[in-house]
Amino acid sequence: MDSTDKTTKLGTRMMPYVAILQHDIRALWASRLVQLWLTATVVLTLVLSLANWSKFQDAPMIASLLFPYLVFPWFFVVVVLGVTPVSGSRAEALADGILSRPVSRSGYLIAVWFARVMLVWSIYLVVIIPFIALVTLAKRPVPEDTVTIYGIVTALFLVGLVLTFLVSLGFLMGTLLRKPLLAVVVLIFVWYPISLILSVFSLEEFSPISLAQAVPTQLRQPWRQVEGEPKLKIDQEDLKAFSSLSNFFSVLSPTKPQPKPAKPDFFESEEFVNFSLLRVTLGYGIPTILTIILATLSFYLRDL
Amino acid sequence: MTELAIRTEHLTKIYSQRLIAVNDMNLEVPKGSVFGLLGPNGAGKTTTLRLLLGLQRPTAGRAEVFGKLCGPNAVNVRSQIGYLPTNPRLPGNLRPIEYLDLLGKLSRLPYQVRKPRISALLRAVGLLSATEQRIQTFSTGMCTRLGLAASLVADPPLLLWDEPTAGLDPTARRFTLDLIRELGKTKTVVVATHILGDIDQICDHLGVMHEGRMIFTGSMQDMKKRLRREGFSLELEGDTDSIRRLAQEVNNLEGIDAHLGAGQTLIVRIDNERGRSGALAEVLKLIDASNLSLQAIHSGQNATENAYLQLLQEEEAHGFHR
Repeated sequence: MDSTDKTTKLGTRMMPYVAILQHDIRALWASRLVQLWLTATVVLTLVLSLANWSKFQDAPMIASLLFPYLVFPWFFVVVVLGVTPVSGSRAEALADGILSRPVSRSGYLIAVWFARVMLVWSIYLVVIIPFIALVTLAKRPVPEDTVTIYGIVTALFLVGLVLTFLVSLGFLMGTLLRKPLLAVVVLIFVWYPISLILSVFSLEEFSPISLAQAVPTQLRQPWRQVEGEPKLKIDQEDLKAFSSLSNFFSVLSPTKPQPKPAKPDFFESEEFVNFSLLRVTLGYGIPTILTIILATLSFYLRDL
Repeated sequence: MTELAIRTEHLTKIYSQRLIAVNDMNLEVPKGSVFGLLGPNGAGKTTTLRLLLGLQRPTAGRAEVFGKLCGPNAVNVRSQIGYLPTNPRLPGNLRPIEYLDLLGKLSRLPYQVRKPRISALLRAVGLLSATEQRIQTFSTGMCTRLGLAASLVADPPLLLWDEPTAGLDPTARRFTLDLIRELGKTKTVVVATHILGDIDQICDHLGVMHEGRMIFTGSMQDMKKRLRREGFSLELEGDTDSIRRLAQEVNNLEGIDAHLGAGQTLIVRIDNERGRSGALAEVLKLIDASNLSLQAIHSGQNATENAYLQLLQEEEAHGFHR
């Protein structure tokens, strides 16, 4: 069998799933939620850039632009996008239309999940990349910073990974709980105190707040650490910037600015050595995969 | 042995440990038949179809389509089925061609097959003039017609149509029934409905469901045989006295009973022992000899309905033995 035949066979096999993916992305782009989110993201990123233009160095400035994706308010939109395709009236329409055709449930679920992940990543990157370019290339009245390309790529990847996890979590809840509103409420109650839950298990580095704090340091990471060079420490200026950013968002979110604890926080203590890109990647990657597997299983066992 | 399109064994569906939708159902649908799944609302017809499609999982028992087991991931089963739900919910943002094209892709139809088939189907269901419109602007009838086309995109050998004439005007209803009759020549068609008139016109086999149970399966002839032999209803033109006189003369014939019906009709009942054609010939002779003129003869007009009602009554009378 030649390679053309194999490609054709694979194309035919994948045709339904590619069709679902295309259809879903098109439907999502046409939805009010996505259009509003895109507009609001642009506006908020612009406001944050202008507000901190002459205050923050490059790293805390980029971290401030990523903060809304990690903590508040965009996690809410991402969760809603994850919940909707398999719950409520949509599930019924789906049964009438797509799932009564020769399409497997698991295949459908993965195609729709992928469509949402692609959409979330595209909105996030389409908005954030131009602003990062602007921040790093423009001459601003702040001291020079040592942000690296590697740092930017990994920081963007980390935030994307968290967003992917949130979409997957929404998917799981959407399959477990049939009512979309209930699923969203449950997720808010799970996600808000996540830092507290993680700290119980000494896994603070995985909390979105900790990741937001780690982003400026990660942005300055070089591709390779030169032997004998001192490891990067958490910058006190970054912490101040983070604190002011938290206060800014506390107006929007129910989280109150925390009083300074007697014991130093995870990122305020000593050297910045506990943060590992690999650990965080695995820490979010493995639960994402598990969530998808559980959602698929739950969807398979469910009546439509 | 008859080849089967559908076979269920002790198929049972209980919702949330509370509602029995399908109760220990054993069903056999012969390949190539037009099978009517008849029952009142809530009898379990739609649940049965959804179990066959794998949209729902049986609580107990099994269902097979062309010998393949049904289930949520049974892609090979669904590739053999064209499904039309009751009042299909369609994606309003799409246009008919886009929708059918999506369904064609879901059935893995190559471009060269998909495009001509979509055109042919849109023409067949009379939606060629509506191809520019979005589905959300469609009337109920148009949605049903698009649903019919959607179920035929993959040209499957088995069609499961749930209430295909629901919400249709008389012309669209006639079109749908004609289409079923036409498709029945080459495919197995299962039509779930509570409209007896439809079943009577198009089906050659029948299953009657009541409260989740299959209380009768067999051919339409078997169904009608179950009924006490009905007679004829004769529409006559003439004065009432002449019709009354005719009724007396008919009553004098052996094994025939006649009485006046509503308007100028004479209802004639024939005993089981008598041949229907012979009895009718004798009655017609009497009409010919009278000063009445015959306008119409209705034979067993409500036979299916009567048989169906009789079945339901018997089923309810069985009580615990059900």
